[in-house]
Amino acid sequence: MENGSERVRTLKGVVVVVTAVLLLRLFYIQVVDTTYKTDAANNVLRYMVQYPPRGEVYDRNGAFLVQSKEAYDLMAIPREVKPFDTLELARILGVRVEQIRNELRKASNFSRRRASVLFKQLPKEVKVRLDERNFPGFFTVYRTVRSYPTKMAGNLLGYVGEVNDRILERNPYYRSGDYIGMSGIEQAYEEVLRGEKGVKIEMVDVHGIPKGSYAGGIYDTLPSPGIAITCTIDGRLQALAEELLEGKVGSVVAIEPETGEILVMASSPTYDPDELVGRQRGNNYMKLLRDSRRPLFNRAVMASYPPGSTFKTLNGLIGLQEGVLVESQTYPCHGGYPYGRGVKCHNHWSPIDLTGAVQTSCNAYFCYVFRNIIENKKYGSIKKGFDVWADYVRSFGYGRKLNTDFYGELNGNVPSSAFYDRVYRGSWNGLTVISLSIGQGELGCTPMQMANLAATIANRGHYRIPHVVKRIHDRDSIDSRFYEDHYTKVDPKYFDPIVEGMYRAVNQEGGTGGIARVPGLDICGKTGTAQNPHGADHSTFMCFAPRNHPKIAVSVYVENGGFGARIAAPIASLVTELYLTDTIQRPDLVQYVKTLPINYPYYAK
Amino acid sequence: MQNDSGNGLTLGRVDWTSVLVYVLLVLMGWLNIYAAVYDESHASIFDLTQRYGMQLVWIGVSAFLAISILLIDDKYYHMLAYPLYWLMLLVLLAVLFFGKEVNGAKAWIVIGPVALQPTELAKFTTSLALARYMSSYSFDIHNLKDLVRVFLILLLPVSIIMMQNDTGSALVYGSFLFMLYREGFNRWVYVALIMVISLFVFSFLLEPAVLLACMVIVCTVAEGATNGDWRGKVIYLAGVALGTLLIYIGAWLAFGPVLSLYASLLITVILSLPVVLLYAYRSKLRNIFLFVFLFFGSLAFTHTIDYVFDNLLQTHQQKRILDLLGLESDLKGWGYNVNQSKIAIGSGGFSGKGFLEGTQTKYNFVPEQSTDFIFCTVGEEWGFLGSALVVVLFAVLTFRLIKMGERQMEPFGRIYCYCAASIFLFHVLVNIGMTIGIMPVIGIPLPFFSYGGSSLIAFTLLLFVAIRLDMSKQEQFML
Repeated sequence: MENGSERVRTLKGVVVVVTAVLLLRLFYIQVVDTTYKTDAANNVLRYMVQYPPRGEVYDRNGAFLVQSKEAYDLMAIPREVKPFDTLELARILGVRVEQIRNELRKASNFSRRRASVLFKQLPKEVKVRLDERNFPGFFTVYRTVRSYPTKMAGNLLGYVGEVNDRILERNPYYRSGDYIGMSGIEQAYEEVLRGEKGVKIEMVDVHGIPKGSYAGGIYDTLPSPGIAITCTIDGRLQALAEELLEGKVGSVVAIEPETGEILVMASSPTYDPDELVGRQRGNNYMKLLRDSRRPLFNRAVMASYPPGSTFKTLNGLIGLQEGVLVESQTYPCHGGYPYGRGVKCHNHWSPIDLTGAVQTSCNAYFCYVFRNIIENKKYGSIKKGFDVWADYVRSFGYGRKLNTDFYGELNGNVPSSAFYDRVYRGSWNGLTVISLSIGQGELGCTPMQMANLAATIANRGHYRIPHVVKRIHDRDSIDSRFYEDHYTKVDPKYFDPIVEGMYRAVNQEGGTGGIARVPGLDICGKTGTAQNPHGADHSTFMCFAPRNHPKIAVSVYVENGGFGARIAAPIASLVTELYLTDTIQRPDLVQYVKTLPINYPYYAK
Repeated sequence: MQNDSGNGLTLGRVDWTSVLVYVLLVLMGWLNIYAAVYDESHASIFDLTQRYGMQLVWIGVSAFLAISILLIDDKYYHMLAYPLYWLMLLVLLAVLFFGKEVNGAKAWIVIGPVALQPTELAKFTTSLALARYMSSYSFDIHNLKDLVRVFLILLLPVSIIMMQNDTGSALVYGSFLFMLYREGFNRWVYVALIMVISLFVFSFLLEPAVLLACMVIVCTVAEGATNGDWRGKVIYLAGVALGTLLIYIGAWLAFGPVLSLYASLLITVILSLPVVLLYAYRSKLRNIFLFVFLFFGSLAFTHTIDYVFDNLLQTHQQKRILDLLGLESDLKGWGYNVNQSKIAIGSGGFSGKGFLEGTQTKYNFVPEQSTDFIFCTVGEEWGFLGSALVVVLFAVLTFRLIKMGERQMEPFGRIYCYCAASIFLFHVLVNIGMTIGIMPVIGIPLPFFSYGGSSLIAFTLLLFVAIRLDMSKQEQFML
């Protein structure tokens, strides 16, 4: 062979190249490329979620508002299901036989070897009966569901639902099938209440059949139960408020002035939160959603109403601070404010001073005061003066979110001079916007903001941000923002005449809120009757009591309820009475409130 | 030949490196079969109902055969080469009629509890027959008649095996090209083969126009490499490019989009032919015709590929090729095996998950994991270190066979050793290459690793006859 040795070298070269190619490729897929390791884990590891019980919610007296109840999901592994008595199973579950067949078919289509959920949230009794019968291929998995023993405060407590795709995309903690707080406290304190899911990592073979725990279970975690919450709500008061509001559309909010703790947050119509639990949830939810009175709408923080005459107290305070008003200043009022298009007033004595004007809710008086504020020469123009006024209003928490621990709070509305410049193309004056002096016009505020005003006056000039959570059970304190005193732009020394006026409004003859009077409780209140485009006037009332060292501030708003004294004031008075004396001494008044008919033609549409 | 000097004396001349590599590979092979089918409920290694138990029996049989081969005189191999070859052909034919079908291939004989696959042994007998024929004094590898006989020796078993529908085993016979190269087979056959394979691969990967352009460039560059005058080549290529553009744009302006880029290029090349021929005539370079022929040959070939692919290959073969080239993937269908195999090997990482700790193989994500895909267990449990060791051991074995072949005094031994080297190299490249996705899925075993008595015995015979031949060469040498 003349060139044998060269050919041998070539062949050895081929062997070297083949070896090198194999080694390089092996090095690449085993050492360089890490995707195969992930793929391998995906192949063989199954993460079994261990659900923790959700944290419970107590009221301020330690009574349950929300409990976690055990529930069971019925699972099935289709290929292990043996022929069974479908009728019997249907009877135990309370479903039709076709439903079971349907669900089994769906599960079968998903996987013959893996477990699928057939029926969710079955009560414990059903589980016990299923265990007695022992259907092969079926088993149950522990979950917890919410139960609401008091059946009240639906909008306050909120509800829990299965996570949807949007949540799954945004928040990596959640997996399909998890529950999450969808509104109210359930949503606001979701991260506290939910606890931490545990995980059990199992190895499975190619058929999905479990082959034991992974790495001896060292990566498994136990679920840690959700943390219980004590909220600031007083269950008795909440129940009373909801009872009194029944059949009416409106809201009651009560706050402990010193701390900003919300004692009552009732919105009417409301719903039984238990209806949004379990297998009927979907149907019930749609029913609530279709209700024209919108029971899922939390009016306490989401409805923006004109504040009506309760707002006069604020204008009085601004006037005093601005130096355009002194307590003894009197204005004449003979049936109203005579300038511009005029503002009508009701019958009371004249001339009248500040406390008298608050007591009798004189419209004319506050028209004078309001114009003096915004037409103050020292600001050069009405627009400047108006913005100064608006700043005062905002310092009381109007026109912006109060930043409570509650989702869905509305800003409300305090207009600015720029707004009127746009609407009136720059040509407007104090008379154009005169209705703001009596809490009408472009003002919008939530019942929560009105209650906050009552608390601010009760505190003589400052408030703490209203909040619903008193204590989170594994922590020493709640968020620091709830311990700060927020001072308004009005000096505390100017509050006395307003408080005096509110005291007289309830406790002296000629006051507008006499119906709210409870001997010995020193309730200070202000009525409001807010005109609105949807029919009869809204009835509103804000109050606090007792006059010195107040314990409670209440705001009641009843849509289309007429005069403030007609329905709002009695409700506020009863809530206050129950809170301060633990009893109701006026069953007649309760009866009056409950039977007072109010028509809502607007919602009937 | 003198063999009666006693076995004790000859032992020193055994190629112990090869024997050691063999022992290591068989041992590792058994451990991996054990790991692949391991199950807590059958923990005894002697459990004959389990594959590792059976494999232990086969290892015993192989060891017995190996020792026997070393003890028996080697003159019988030359003598028995043809009879064994014909006998094996008869057996293969018998299998074709009486055999049992497994996985679509009718390649098994079942005798009692044992199933044998004669195709495995046919490689061995064919090697002997080839060695016998090609070592005959009158054989000349450049003689067409002799070459035809060589191909007949190969063709007989290959066609029977093809009839058994065992394409993988038939392809193994292609590996003898390795041995033939050593024996002086025409180089151009290999060049042509490499070109055909490249054309085949690139005809799938490249757009027709790009492939055509590549062919033009390759032929021109090849001509330049033989004849020089690079300036002329550059001018020619530039001219072709310009011409193509002119024709394409011109046709587009005149008649709209009637001509594809591919057609424009082809027209330009054909139009350039007179120029090329004139150039060849002027510079008196007759070999230019060779390159013109090469170009049009390739062109014709690319057009037959589609036909071959669509009509001659079976669907699963088409899919495997498309999957390998990354053109089509169906991880739940055709691509499942290779994908799971890559996952298993890739997840082994540098040092592996440890013996019996491989989750992908233990929980059956890899199909055929104790036979064709046994390397997955190596890759997963022993990592890159273990896989590399196996690859290197096989490389060492191939080098030893080449070395043993080269130190043979007689062509018979050399050709035989090269046959063995060819078969081992092909099996290792194709089997491991398949598990890591650089070779199409061809169902052939990994020597000494894949479960199965027939293949273990066949590879043991193949190797130990080479060792035995090597031994007697040294006896001769010493005498």
